[in-house]
Amino acid sequence: MTAHEISEFLAPIRHEFADQRSLILPALRFAQEEQGWLPQEAMAAVAEATGYSQAYVESVASFYDRLYTEPVGRRVISVCTTLSCMLRGSDELLAHVAANIGTDGEGTSADGMFTLQRAECLGACDRAPCLQVDSGDQQGPLTHDDADAIIGALRADGAPTRYDR
Amino acid sequence: MPQLNSVYRHREFQDLLTLSGYERAGGWNGLKATLEMSPDDALYAFHRSGLRGRGGAGFPMGRKASFLPKDSGRPTYVVCNADESEPGTFKDREILDNNPFQLVEGVAIASYGVGCERAYIYVRGEYGHQWDVLLRAIAECRATGRLGPDAFGPGAPFDITLYRGAGAYICGEETALLESLEGKRGQPRLKPPYPAVAGLYDCPTLINNVETLAALPPIMHRGADWYAALGPEKSPGTKIFSVSGHVLKPGNYEIVMGETTLRDLIFDLAGGLRDGREFKACWPGGSSVPVLTAEHLDTPLDYESLAGAGSFLGSGGCIVMDDSGCIVRASWRLAHFYRHESCGKCTPCREGTGWLEKILGRMVHGEGRLEDLAMLESLFGRISGRTLCALADGAVAPVQSALELFRDDFERVIEQGGSPVPEPMGVINA
Repeated sequence: MTAHEISEFLAPIRHEFADQRSLILPALRFAQEEQGWLPQEAMAAVAEATGYSQAYVESVASFYDRLYTEPVGRRVISVCTTLSCMLRGSDELLAHVAANIGTDGEGTSADGMFTLQRAECLGACDRAPCLQVDSGDQQGPLTHDDADAIIGALRADGAPTRYDR
Repeated sequence: MPQLNSVYRHREFQDLLTLSGYERAGGWNGLKATLEMSPDDALYAFHRSGLRGRGGAGFPMGRKASFLPKDSGRPTYVVCNADESEPGTFKDREILDNNPFQLVEGVAIASYGVGCERAYIYVRGEYGHQWDVLLRAIAECRATGRLGPDAFGPGAPFDITLYRGAGAYICGEETALLESLEGKRGQPRLKPPYPAVAGLYDCPTLINNVETLAALPPIMHRGADWYAALGPEKSPGTKIFSVSGHVLKPGNYEIVMGETTLRDLIFDLAGGLRDGREFKACWPGGSSVPVLTAEHLDTPLDYESLAGAGSFLGSGGCIVMDDSGCIVRASWRLAHFYRHESCGKCTPCREGTGWLEKILGRMVHGEGRLEDLAMLESLFGRISGRTLCALADGAVAPVQSALELFRDDFERVIEQGGSPVPEPMGVINA
């Protein structure tokens, strides 16, 4: 992702903000769409496109859970494990997903296909236990078979063309 | 126990995802009525309706709007807080999913009242689908002139900018949200000054929750007096409760304040518990409120009654646990949440939430000591009330109340050498 591409993305919305610093978060989200995380080059491009230092851009990015400053899998699976989901079997769901994709709890699978993470309340307690793939729909309530089916479909799909996390 | 779908208009009408569908369901009548008034009369209507903030604090919406100075010489902003992340709360998600134009209309109504030409809706990063729905709604409003240069009449512009977060509970705190919207790390500000005086870009700013703003269109269409007459004098109107945990019909229920008890909500609307299970506890207003026991089930659901019972109405996210659950394990899980979400700015919160999680964790895992109870108690007052925002208070409230109300359970877990993982409720294919 180049600074020029980011600038083109920002051009139509620049006038909506009285302070151009507000563009950093949209720029980071946009930059992440390409590779699913934010390598140094992406941070540098965001810095150039917004006019802030790379150090500042990184300090912002590092604050937010859904901006990834380290490589992650082609699909990020978030299993909500906050209280409502815990009461409905989220810890067991997380362990099941981990076993399916071959991670020891949270982490990235050996083939780089999946990153599994615990999520704090996903706002889908009525669907507990639930999971979310990238920032797609909160899916649930899920049996372990349902989860296997979701993972199987993701494997068949491969990587998305753009990452929305 | 009357349910009244005033905010949840999509439960009464079809096809609210298109502008024409929303108009057929009476959409824009609220804004139309508002635009026939002066902005001051609109503010007075907000005030008379008695509407209180539905995000958690319950502050009267009309009063908040009246705090914005009119002569600051600076732009005025309205910011809608759609960063719904309070554990147990999923009411705004249903509005965003199904009834986005009512929120847009509500934001417009509030903006007209306070003289705002550009409003912002800050959407939780994880709400990807909800973001897409809002994008389409805003695009349709712009294409039809509902938003744009003549939105409030010829030459009277108004527009809404969508802004997406990226995963941080703290950004639901209003000043942290503003920081995030300004392109910074989402850490709360020292108050005062309050956002009404110095909010977004240091300008007068009205921040309200999705449900609060979405309540405005029916209020302005049917009249503030209609709304004020629903429910108790100090807690009028309808409120959406999200019920989750060990209930058979988890979901959102919009009810008239004060006319439904906690028991009705849990055992009737939300389908009650599994056969053979007893009620153990519930957190009635999201996870940041004191826990309640079976003794409190006959409490009416309104701000004053829940406060009288020792808890808070909060966000209306009611988490229910039956006697298969363990209060110590539940408290530990909540402490984990607050430790994870503490932004780290204030030492009592950054360090204190870590200690809450650590001490509760060792109890759960069989390494607790009876002295830990006194240590926990000594922590509460050193965390609560000593920080810039309410996250720390929210971390302490469920743990402190659990220890007060269920002390025997804590002692038993310590003496038994831990809290075994209970069989979860699992999926009920009802």
